[in-house]
Amino acid sequence: MVLRSPLFNIQKNLGAKFTKFAGFEMPIQYSSIKDEHLTVRRSVGLFDVSHMSNVWITGKDAEKLISITTVEDASRIGDGLSQYTAILREDGTVIDDTIFMHLVEKYMIIPNAGMATPVTKWLNNKANEHNLDAKAEDVSRDFVILAIQGPKSRDTLQKLTDIDLNTVKFFGCQYIDIGGVHCIISHTGYTGELGFELQVTPPKEAEDLFYKILDAGKEFLIKPIGLGARDTLRLEKCFILAGNEFEGGRTPLEALLSWTINWDHDFIGKDVLLKQKEQGDYERLTCLECTDKGVPRHGCEIRNDEEKVGVVSSGTLSPCLNKGIAMGYVNPEFREVGNILEIVVRNKSVKAKVVKAPFVKKDWAQQY
Amino acid sequence: MVELREDLRYTEAHEWLKIQNNIAIIGITDHAQAELTDIVFVELPEIGKELKKGEELCVIESVKSVSEIYSPISGKVVDVNKKLDDSPEVVNESPYDDGWLVKLEIKDKSEIDSLLDVKLYKQILK
Repeated sequence: MVLRSPLFNIQKNLGAKFTKFAGFEMPIQYSSIKDEHLTVRRSVGLFDVSHMSNVWITGKDAEKLISITTVEDASRIGDGLSQYTAILREDGTVIDDTIFMHLVEKYMIIPNAGMATPVTKWLNNKANEHNLDAKAEDVSRDFVILAIQGPKSRDTLQKLTDIDLNTVKFFGCQYIDIGGVHCIISHTGYTGELGFELQVTPPKEAEDLFYKILDAGKEFLIKPIGLGARDTLRLEKCFILAGNEFEGGRTPLEALLSWTINWDHDFIGKDVLLKQKEQGDYERLTCLECTDKGVPRHGCEIRNDEEKVGVVSSGTLSPCLNKGIAMGYVNPEFREVGNILEIVVRNKSVKAKVVKAPFVKKDWAQQY
Repeated sequence: MVELREDLRYTEAHEWLKIQNNIAIIGITDHAQAELTDIVFVELPEIGKELKKGEELCVIESVKSVSEIYSPISGKVVDVNKKLDDSPEVVNESPYDDGWLVKLEIKDKSEIDSLLDVKLYKQILK
């Protein structure tokens, strides 16, 4: 069965082309990926990301359940704050990366598309195993998720609410009325730009809101944005796409998520990570910028002098840099910044330089 | 509205051919470029390469996708549009003129007869 966003018809009327992604039929683009991409970097764009999941975690031990099952110590994350984290298996590999929001007495987590069922099951099993009074409930179909991203995102949304959005700090979250719709707002996103995400329920409420946001952003030339640009925007900032970067089982250390790990608490998979950290000799996600013409793609081999030293997990042409960019897992001895490697694109060798993340620096648009 | 040209021949795979004596200029149609959008890379064949009908002629990449273009006829590559190396977006901007891909020396004229004319191609687009 293919699922559709409750906003499918609105998007169709706006000229969207659709693609299947993780069981959903979602807009891949409206005008063009490049155009939409630059719109978000320079001004503001509106995304429907309802393919992502919503899971409530409730009960008096909800905080404990999150702390045990993620690399974050949830007691650090007070009411009105959210956190990006990862849920691990016992062997230290990532089940899913997610944001959790602390909203008064409960938590909402946002697993990736198609991950609501396995994540909910996993959390409820762990709650049982550890005798916790906590319950995970998949409510994905009750919510539409909208993302408003870009330097003009705050100015756009500010027209639709009385609450001063400057008070919603980076990674802050709270209930809010926007355009007459009661929803959850968080100062989060997947583009590396100023941005907000809205959790809207019931889904019907999102129909009017979608148009209201487009209307409010008119003076900034707001556009609806598809998943194509969502992918190029996140890749320029070296944000992980679960299906690509965790493929085959990867630990957060390998996936460059060590910054998310809070070592001062106990969590599932911690012992394996400690061992891996000590050994130090593991493949790590590496950022490669092509110096030759060519577009690296998922699965392309990375070589050093004809020898395979890694594989591309995500690749594209960067609309901002107009160069091929890729993230891939590379043998540690070859991933030094400045090192020149080759990416094999359709049997041709394309030279690429190891660079520091992100590919596109903050405030890129101000220089152009 | 998709642009079509009366003087061209077409294929079901949305390529066009302009026949000039024994040379065929080949490109992709306005419909094809609009479907691909944002062409960012065109990999062209070597000049002198002999191609059979149905063999890979070139590769066109958009931001999101990679599309192989297969040769609609047999022939020898006599010229390629080198401008596309630096400006692949020309295929989007001018699919029938500046955005041509390859010139082939036609090997078998009978293959030309099986190509679509503008009326038949129009039917496919419906």
